[in-house]
Amino acid sequence: MRALAAAAIGLAAALALVLAVTAIGAPSGETSPKPLLTTVPEHP
Amino acid sequence: MRRRASLVLLAFAVFFAALAPLLRWYGYPRLAKIPPSEYQTAVLEARPATLLDYGTMKPRTVSKVSIVQTLRGNVAAAEKVGKATGRDVVVWDALSYVAGPDGAMVSKIPERYVFDAHSQDPVHAGGEHVDGDAVRREGIEYKWPFLTEKRDYRYFDAQTRTSAPIHYKGTRTFRGLKVYYFEQTIPWTRVPLPKTMPVDGVTPETVRKAGTSRWYSTKRMFWVEPTTGAPVNGQEIHREELRGGTLLGDRGRVTVFSGHVKMREDYVRHTVDLVTSQRRLVLLLTTWLPGGFLALGTALFALALLLEARGRAARHQRSVPALASTPVPGIRPR
Repeated sequence: MRALAAAAIGLAAALALVLAVTAIGAPSGETSPKPLLTTVPEHP
Repeated sequence: MRRRASLVLLAFAVFFAALAPLLRWYGYPRLAKIPPSEYQTAVLEARPATLLDYGTMKPRTVSKVSIVQTLRGNVAAAEKVGKATGRDVVVWDALSYVAGPDGAMVSKIPERYVFDAHSQDPVHAGGEHVDGDAVRREGIEYKWPFLTEKRDYRYFDAQTRTSAPIHYKGTRTFRGLKVYYFEQTIPWTRVPLPKTMPVDGVTPETVRKAGTSRWYSTKRMFWVEPTTGAPVNGQEIHREELRGGTLLGDRGRVTVFSGHVKMREDYVRHTVDLVTSQRRLVLLLTTWLPGGFLALGTALFALALLLEARGRAARHQRSVPALASTPVPGIRPR
């Protein structure tokens, strides 16, 4: 019974971690202020 | 004490063993995506190339024609389309600017490309267009999906405004990276004239009124890193002609542009470096972390079993002398 409880705690923690990380996601950032180029750049 | 330690180990074993498939099949599809604020440039060159001289209306050979491609993620538009469609969306405002050997504009074609940030499937919202003409893309453009497969895809051709198959032609090694090589051939097709013409006073309307039409054919080649789906090299054998009408005099067709367009060497190096680092991130989510977690979970489970077995053996040993000294009814000790 204790083993089952320990396994359930491990499973719940893994689920919670993955759900939290995917829910937070990555920040979207902002549109770059750099222009759409109309000259040939010297380098990348 | 051993009992408690084995239970803690068991909890961690299940945690890591469960984390492996959860990360690979639940986390990865949601975490791996194109950021909406991406900004990228690429320069391609044709050396030499044939260009139409609009002064004489005759083609001439020039030392170089450069194509500057810029992709800029429009975050505000992506959020707006995302809210309307309920999807994670990327909106790329792109410009393909073609410059002659002196840097003068040969053509410039703006585009808006709207697509799903995870799957790269096109999203038909947010004003997708090519050179101001509304389009409805099918398939991919610029980038392949993460974990690219060895199969044909549909690739959008901006000149014809249509999608056609791009064929998988085999696996190659490019600058130390394993890449999939894709090829698409667009046969001679009548295409719209660019809204911005390279000569003052010449507009698409004046060319059309003269009865002249623009035709185009290309063979495009991409070397795609399959984990990220990012092309690390691109080439095109590109040909454009004007056909018919009074503009060309007695000639049936004249070459507007012809050349073998290749990515400039410094951009190839830059792209390979960028894709190599991005590839590590995708591999971390798809292979390295899930594999590591599974191995760690298995090891912890084995350790938990071992501790539990030792604990039981010790408890058993402690209980045997106790049993031996307990008098059994009916048996009299000697």
